[in-house]
Amino acid sequence: MKTNFTRMAPGTRRSFLGRMAATGVLALGALPPLFLARAAEQNKASRDGKILVLLQLAGGNDGLNTVIPHSHTEYQRLRPSLGVGKGAVLKLNDELGLHPQLTGLKSLHDEGLLSIIQGVGYPKPNRSHFRSMDIWHSARPDEESTRDGWMGRAMDAAAAKFAGRVPALALGTDRLPLALVAQRVTVPTVKSLKDYQLSEGKGNAKDLRRRRQLIGELAQAEAKGNSDLDFLHRTASTAIQTADKIAATTTAYKPAKPYPQTGLGQRLQTLAQLITADIGPQVFFVSLDGFDTHSDQAGAHAALLGELGGAVQAFFADLKAHGLSERVMLATFSEFGRRVKENGSLGTDHGAASQMFLVSAGIKSAIHGKHPDLHNLDEGDLKHHTDFRQVYATLLEQWLDWPSEPALLGKFAQLKLA
Amino acid sequence: MSIEKPSGILAPVDWQQRTWSRAEAKHLLWRAQFGASAQEIARVHADGPAKTLARLLAPQPESTAFTAADSLLHRAAMDTGSADDLKAWWLHRLFHSANPLTEKLTLFWHNHFATSIAKVRSTAAMSTQNGLCRREALGSFRRLLHGMTQDGAMLVWLDGNANRRRHANENFAREIMELFALGEGNYSEKDIKEAARAFTGWHVREDQYWFNRAQHDEGIKTVFGKTGALGGGEVVDLCLAQKACPRFLATKLLRAFVLPQPTEAMVAALAARLRAHDFAMAAVMGELLASELFHGIQTRGTIIKGPAELALGALRALDGQPNLRTVNAVMSLLGQDIFQPATVKGWEGGRMWITSASLLQRANFAAALTGTNQLGSIQSPDARARGADTAPAAIVAHYTDLLLARPPAQESRQRLESYFADATGDGADRIRGLLHLIMAMPEFQLM
Repeated sequence: MKTNFTRMAPGTRRSFLGRMAATGVLALGALPPLFLARAAEQNKASRDGKILVLLQLAGGNDGLNTVIPHSHTEYQRLRPSLGVGKGAVLKLNDELGLHPQLTGLKSLHDEGLLSIIQGVGYPKPNRSHFRSMDIWHSARPDEESTRDGWMGRAMDAAAAKFAGRVPALALGTDRLPLALVAQRVTVPTVKSLKDYQLSEGKGNAKDLRRRRQLIGELAQAEAKGNSDLDFLHRTASTAIQTADKIAATTTAYKPAKPYPQTGLGQRLQTLAQLITADIGPQVFFVSLDGFDTHSDQAGAHAALLGELGGAVQAFFADLKAHGLSERVMLATFSEFGRRVKENGSLGTDHGAASQMFLVSAGIKSAIHGKHPDLHNLDEGDLKHHTDFRQVYATLLEQWLDWPSEPALLGKFAQLKLA
Repeated sequence: MSIEKPSGILAPVDWQQRTWSRAEAKHLLWRAQFGASAQEIARVHADGPAKTLARLLAPQPESTAFTAADSLLHRAAMDTGSADDLKAWWLHRLFHSANPLTEKLTLFWHNHFATSIAKVRSTAAMSTQNGLCRREALGSFRRLLHGMTQDGAMLVWLDGNANRRRHANENFAREIMELFALGEGNYSEKDIKEAARAFTGWHVREDQYWFNRAQHDEGIKTVFGKTGALGGGEVVDLCLAQKACPRFLATKLLRAFVLPQPTEAMVAALAARLRAHDFAMAAVMGELLASELFHGIQTRGTIIKGPAELALGALRALDGQPNLRTVNAVMSLLGQDIFQPATVKGWEGGRMWITSASLLQRANFAAALTGTNQLGSIQSPDARARGADTAPAAIVAHYTDLLLARPPAQESRQRLESYFADATGDGADRIRGLLHLIMAMPEFQLM
């Protein structure tokens, strides 16, 4: 049963000035006109800035059946039931092919938008979902628990650039993903746009307007400390500002083509709506869950890859129609790949190294690194040759133009994106 | 054997030397139950701390009306087998019971032993477990922990039947140590492996514990350095005897009832009381709620309310009657779906309750509660507005005092006063608008 107490009240589209007033910034009267000029300037900067979409494949995607080394006899030998036949893969070259359900990614490859980074992982791989996902999010494999995530630290380091706007946004998650947890900046978590609105309550229009303005003013953070009250003020301010911006986008956007009616399809359509509206964030986080395929993997994995490929293809077609496919990059990651040898339940167990996809019209399509050697395994799992933090460093420095060392707490050799 | 009185930070406040004001009464009530109305605060202020604590700690008779509604709702949940009906039954108790501290601790133990009906799939088994939590809420944690290891819902939840001789499943033993008794880092992997063997054959049949002798490993085990043909009950006692056990519990109790980041000294002091009372919760809670630590000004307004505290607290403060279904739905939307925690870890509480989305929903809850009757009714607030002092400053002072743990900042107070002064409509409308604003404030999220 669902309550409808979050319904949108009419008349929430407002001008920029109206929205600034609603968030209480103008009403405080403490801000010089210079602020407005600067905000406009920043909005312009955000329009030119690159956008990164992090797509989490939760549960441990079977990379080996995603980008398939179809020419390797060892692959067919270790995957007698689950192996995808040479004739069925969507061939990328003589060695590699995509899973037959990844037609969407195959088209993006043929259009020159898809890059694959092979053999990504980290030393002493952990095979627990929670722990390994934490490692990918924190980028600190040796720390048991961390207060912030890699992107959170990156945003903290680049905080000066975001004054007055939200640097990142997590869509469709219940919690803020650790990767985006920061110390200085606050990142909103939007479960669905419909629920991400302030309802106005009851009363006449004048009182409602006044209350709406006052809710913003009362939320404003005075203190810059880190008490729970400061945290509540900061989060509330971010929430209200973001809700205002989102409210203004909902009517303007139309997808260029219909998206698939899948969970990921709908989430990426929402992302496209937010990106085309240019409400500020440069980093978006979405997740596709269900990759923990211990038994009867074939059907479930095929469905997930179909959902992935179809949604990403529609997303980039839409972005292209809006002239944004060169400004946006989507990067996939998963906490680990899966065991090379299939198990006795027609599934696969937790493994180690796997691939990452990068999709964008703004970089040159490429396959980075070799497929991990199927004859040289680590306890039955693929060995990595590229540390995921090298990929993070590459994304931060070459795509977002943010320093990577504060985020990764060290220097990592980058890939050449070109 | 007589037990020495607590000293230091847990020493009882000497109310001869300190004023028992409405602020103290309000603080105690918000922590010991789900919110407090103006009348309740006045009553507790008049009764004083000793009488109030005695009432909160000793079983109080339930009213006839309560008992009738309670048994009706419970029967419905048993007959329909619907999780929503079971949630409505408990919500009614949480809000209306004459034993609010018992209910609050029942929720505390439900979170501690987080079990979800999504997997257990039986309102009867969940209700039985809930009854165990309630029976021992102010009873004995020792009995509670023992009871949980033989609880049908728990055994389903943690795959008790998978734990067989020669195929020990560590899940049950691991959660007992990690989540129920000791906390991470206070046991070795070997302790878990050996303890799992002691619980082999602790199975569940038709939602009831049964000892499957054929699947019990009767061999010699070593847990925490003690060797013998240990059974599950002995392992539970060994866990309770560990130094880490009362500390683990003390940390959780302090976070739930006193302040979010207890110091080492606080944990050690409360752990010592848990040990001294052999986990008798009424004695421990009585000392805690009477202590210098609890009544210290630094603990006021430091705990981020969970959804139950937020929603039921608001309704109670405003003399409301919750709509059991819609309030459950709101709590679930805000992250606390009772009888259905998302993971075995339960709700982590504190800042984990708060995201930008959940804060918007909390503000929307305030809008719905003050502007509609979807969530239940609140008493028409115009009586006071018609009373003696209807000056904006007096009205705002009255309601911020009722709803906020600490006085608001001066600018915030002025904003509220200016709203009330300029608002249109009759007294009730203006006050409802004011209540909406106060409950949408970040300050209202704290208790």
